[in-house]
Amino acid sequence: MIHAIVFSTLLMSFASRLTDLNNQLSLLINSVAGRSWLFDNVVAFFLDNDLAKAGVIGCCFLAAWYGGKTTEGTNARRKILITTLIASVCVIATTKVLSHTIFLPRPDIQTQKIFRLEGDQLVEMKRMPVRIPLDEASQKDYRALLSGDVQTNDLGSFPSDHAGFFITIALGIWLASRRLGLVALGWTVFVILAAKMISGQHTPVDIAAGSAVAILELSIFQYAAQQRFGKLLDKLTPLTLRYSALSSAIIFAVVFEVSSTLTHVRAFFGLLAAVRRHVLFGIS
Amino acid sequence: MKRLSIIFVLIVLLLTTSCGLQKEGLVVMTDQSYKASVFATNKIGFGSPDGLVWHKGKLYLADEGGEKLEVWSKNPGLKTLVDSSFGCQSPEDLVIDADDNIFFTDDDSGGLWEVDRNGAPRLVAGKDKGLISTEGIALAPDGSLLVGDGEQHEVFRVTRDGAVSEFLGKQFGITKPESMVFDEQGNLYIADNEDDVLYMLDTNHNLHRIIDRRDSFSPETIFYFKGALYITDSRDGKLYIYKPNEELRTIAAFGGQLKNVQGVTVDDQGNIFLSVQTDLKRKVGHILEISKENTEIAAR
Repeated sequence: MIHAIVFSTLLMSFASRLTDLNNQLSLLINSVAGRSWLFDNVVAFFLDNDLAKAGVIGCCFLAAWYGGKTTEGTNARRKILITTLIASVCVIATTKVLSHTIFLPRPDIQTQKIFRLEGDQLVEMKRMPVRIPLDEASQKDYRALLSGDVQTNDLGSFPSDHAGFFITIALGIWLASRRLGLVALGWTVFVILAAKMISGQHTPVDIAAGSAVAILELSIFQYAAQQRFGKLLDKLTPLTLRYSALSSAIIFAVVFEVSSTLTHVRAFFGLLAAVRRHVLFGIS
Repeated sequence: MKRLSIIFVLIVLLLTTSCGLQKEGLVVMTDQSYKASVFATNKIGFGSPDGLVWHKGKLYLADEGGEKLEVWSKNPGLKTLVDSSFGCQSPEDLVIDADDNIFFTDDDSGGLWEVDRNGAPRLVAGKDKGLISTEGIALAPDGSLLVGDGEQHEVFRVTRDGAVSEFLGKQFGITKPESMVFDEQGNLYIADNEDDVLYMLDTNHNLHRIIDRRDSFSPETIFYFKGALYITDSRDGKLYIYKPNEELRTIAAFGGQLKNVQGVTVDDQGNIFLSVQTDLKRKVGHILEISKENTEIAAR
């Protein structure tokens, strides 16, 4: 009992320090924003442009897919990459569930007056003096925020689904090909995730949590692929060589979606939900 | 693998506690002149309220989760006016006339119900008169009551003696008249939270779509006070203010346990009160107060 109390006290104390550190680090990274129109537009470009943001990851994935020097080598890579894609879907599902359970607004939202429910009281949170980037999209979003337009998605930034998704893919590429994986990981960390933190959309803790989910789930899936589903993948991967035209077409669609951060898949699921509502409930 | 799993669980635990926000609630004040506080919780005895009305210093609650109609005042606290033993199941919305008679709707048992100024309950008009699933309610200037029916997609006029007639038929296209209120000019505002439209019926009986399927807009309850319409949106967790000829403006956004904002009312001082159905099945709810910062109250 005493050990449990001591442990929980230590955990809380450490967590409090971690929160302070997270906020300081977040503000430090964000401090480069809002100073230079050119710099902010470059950062925004790498966040908003699919080709610049995730296209590089997609290219690395394709290179890893086709880059085996022998048939065995290609098969081994494809096993890893197929498993990685399955893992990435689960990672996205996990981060979405977590972000709907833990309500931590994006740092740029925390510039506003926010009250948090603690027991039976609403307690005002400390505001974060986040700098807003000078690019047009960020300024437009900030003006919308000031006029009261808060997106529900902006209230749950923990953990970062970008971190979860791209770290999974990049690590999967790294397992298949060290060189390509390093490029993908470097691009993910220093371009995509850094831009997210600079623009005040995520804190380091959001990124760390998303990455932790990615590492764990990818490890589990790769382990399971080797131990439990090895035979299934042994049968599947030669088919990608045997039916190379079809598999290339499928992998193109997959990489296209990876490069566009699943925008079209999400739109497709939105359409399915609308059709369901229309057919079942008659709501247009 | 086991070690890896244990490390991961510890990391998640640490990160979660560092956020300090496990399954909690948030209120983001987009209008900085307001502040938010918890006015009451289940500890005072209510279940999960929907409709709210401040009337002569007392807060009346259509307690949908608690299956009761209740009134709260500082002394003696919460008091039940009528409960399910009388036949009502899910009190939805309510109005109070100048003589302190309370009228309320019930979307499960249907009908229009009354608790008169002496505390005597009665069913004014029930399902047998065509009121199947009653939602919004408004007190018309002529003393009759307008009641919205979500299953029949109509608004009915009900007189005090229980006569029911059609006020807005299906041809008007209102799918779910969830909430209704009159302004000083006699215009009737109707919130349809299924089609996500805010309507206004003018005094010439012409129906206007004032706010029509805007992104992130699904009106749940509307309350008119001093030239402004206060609107809750349970789907998106928002509280809006709308003034004729002005843009719809968000006062606050709600997340987590507090997202499901339902009823709204305003007291004489202009403080806004909201009911939040945190968990309707488990009868968990909150009443929040959104009030002006002290400096502004002093200035008024």
